Amino acid sequence: MESAGDSSRRKFFKSAGVAAGSALLTANQIWAAEHGENLPPNIPSWMRQVGTGVGAAPYGFPSEYEKDAVRRTVPWLTATPISSVSFSPLQSLQGIITPSSLHFERHHSGIPNIDPAEHRLMIHGLCSNPLVLTMDDLVRFPSVSEIRFIECPANGGMEWRGPQMEALQFTHGMISCSEWTGVRLSTLLAEVGVDLKAKWVLAEGADGAAMARSIPLDKALDDVIVAYAQNGERIRPEQGYPLRLVNPGWEGNTSIKWLRRLELGEKPWHLREETSKYTDLMPDGRARQFTWVQETNSVVTSVCPENSLKSRGYHELEGVAWSGRGKIKRVDVSFDGGFSWKEAKLKGLVLDKALTRFSVDWSWDGSPALIQSRAIDDTGYVQPTLSQLREVRGVNSIYHKNSIHTWQVLATGEVKNVQNT
Amino acid sequence: MLLCTVFLISVVHSETRFNIGHSATTEQIAGWDIDIRPDGFGLPEGSGSVESGEMLYEEKCASCHGVFGEGEDRWPVIAGGIGTLMEEKPEKTVGSYWPYVSTLWDYIHRAMPFLEPQSLTDNEVYALTAYVLYLNDQVDEDFVLTKYNLPTITLPNEKGFFIDPRPEALNSRCMTNCLTTKQMSSWSAADLGVTPLEHLSNLVPATAQDDLELRETNTLAIETYKKACVICHDTGVAGAPIFGDKEDWRQRAEKGLEVLYQNALNGYLGEKGYMPAKGGNSGLTDESVKAAVDHMLRGGLAD
Repeated sequence: MESAGDSSRRKFFKSAGVAAGSALLTANQIWAAEHGENLPPNIPSWMRQVGTGVGAAPYGFPSEYEKDAVRRTVPWLTATPISSVSFSPLQSLQGIITPSSLHFERHHSGIPNIDPAEHRLMIHGLCSNPLVLTMDDLVRFPSVSEIRFIECPANGGMEWRGPQMEALQFTHGMISCSEWTGVRLSTLLAEVGVDLKAKWVLAEGADGAAMARSIPLDKALDDVIVAYAQNGERIRPEQGYPLRLVNPGWEGNTSIKWLRRLELGEKPWHLREETSKYTDLMPDGRARQFTWVQETNSVVTSVCPENSLKSRGYHELEGVAWSGRGKIKRVDVSFDGGFSWKEAKLKGLVLDKALTRFSVDWSWDGSPALIQSRAIDDTGYVQPTLSQLREVRGVNSIYHKNSIHTWQVLATGEVKNVQNT
Repeated sequence: MLLCTVFLISVVHSETRFNIGHSATTEQIAGWDIDIRPDGFGLPEGSGSVESGEMLYEEKCASCHGVFGEGEDRWPVIAGGIGTLMEEKPEKTVGSYWPYVSTLWDYIHRAMPFLEPQSLTDNEVYALTAYVLYLNDQVDEDFVLTKYNLPTITLPNEKGFFIDPRPEALNSRCMTNCLTTKQMSSWSAADLGVTPLEHLSNLVPATAQDDLELRETNTLAIETYKKACVICHDTGVAGAPIFGDKEDWRQRAEKGLEVLYQNALNGYLGEKGYMPAKGGNSGLTDESVKAAVDHMLRGGLAD
């Protein structure tokens, strides 16, 4: 029979890495942990000494006890990590802002290493005053700061034929939300003097894929940002340093990273990433093109395969919802697989095209449950069931699977990814 | 007078223009403007044959895309698949799916070969485009692709695309009695076993996981302990702290783990006794000696 002391000691050794021969811990700390010396009524060891001084980490990092909150990959998904995706750990995150270090990644030819002094944004095509702008030039324009999500349209795409990923991080982790700062694209387009014939803007990156998409001028003049900062600091290399487009509510690949060029034209370009890829194949063999909007979606995050239930009784069930068309208006939660629903509370900021956190009080009595969430946005659109999507789209469209998700809670408290629609 | 004029101009322009940046020169634009449209807009002068494309393809493309465009490993399949778009596993290739030839020229030029993007000459891009069309049975083996005939070639699936009709698949906000039947999937994702789960210790019962880790690290420690430490530390010979003697080990522990490691590795002579380097067994690795120290420290501290 294992005593509680054994269990806590094991946990301590495991988390601290002592078993691997780490010399970071003093024998005193080991002694203290073994005897519960850090617990009431005792004074914890870290109060009986001084800690590390200022400046030890000029650019800080998370506590060593938070190693679980990291981006992860599904290696078999892609041929190479250079053209692949990593997923945000939604199961570990709170609020609506994704730490920049944990923003999901999707690169088509890896992360370029760009010297900002040698980076240029060229704007040309159907305009009267084609320009070349330096980073210093761009920062001089009036700026905006807005909280917006970016989501890969393939988020959830592994689940069309049935539940496949036994982790929230992999079923929904291709979404992240940041505060983006930069110049409105409309400001820059006014500066070059757009020709009346222009109807489209080509945006192109400075990466090895020269990743590019055609964007209609209406959207370009609406809410698009040419961003140089993310969550208060300059954009991270994996998010497009030194400059990226943020195309709110639209599929993530249109928010071109490492932005180097904008061209005005009268027709779309039909590039590879808007014909061969990012088009949605329907059961009749035809494909939808220019499926830009990331439709209303939601998922419960506090209870998921990574966050199993440890005890009966009160739980604040939480999740996130978002819509590429506007604000989240309402979220409902079901505990019986969609038979009955209860309205959840929206927590904190409720912003246009941003993650929105919801919660509902729940007392778990230890019986099995099928947990779902269903979001409604301010256009009145209701997040669909998977069977509603499949009925129209079949199972080969890859992208834009925004259906209601189901977590199965077992009597043991374990949580499974199932489908029930 | 001059100052005054400059001031007036800046005021007039300030409503719509900030006068920031430099005008892009024709030469600058020509160097960066690489996009090609289906109507041929943007194509440079040049040409390339299927024949010259074949050699280039085998040298630069076949290692990923396969000799016949069939795709190696998980790299993209680029040929074949015509007529499969309604099948259970559709194969979306240049011939079966892509709407325009211009996309092929544009993409090869901007992003291929994967590890050497923008390294091909315009004529090489024409040749490779011609060869991929040939692999897809869209042109004959003696075909030569040029700026002028490229926009005239139509691919089989050009009419296979339509503009996004969403929102569709509309749901309604039902609150009670919403399902007539339950359609539970017959499996959970866990049954497939394809998720990378190394980090999810909570998916394995906690006690089993702990035991597994302890067993692994303890194997080395216990072997070492039995080989080099047990003679003294089991009995207290030469003043050695006995395995399980809490008070004795607590006092030693106060020196700090690194000191204990160094004493075990290099030897130690103190008031209480004598510790030979590595317990007198110089063949032991440092790692195994440290593991044995950890093991004794844990054992010594156990309730």
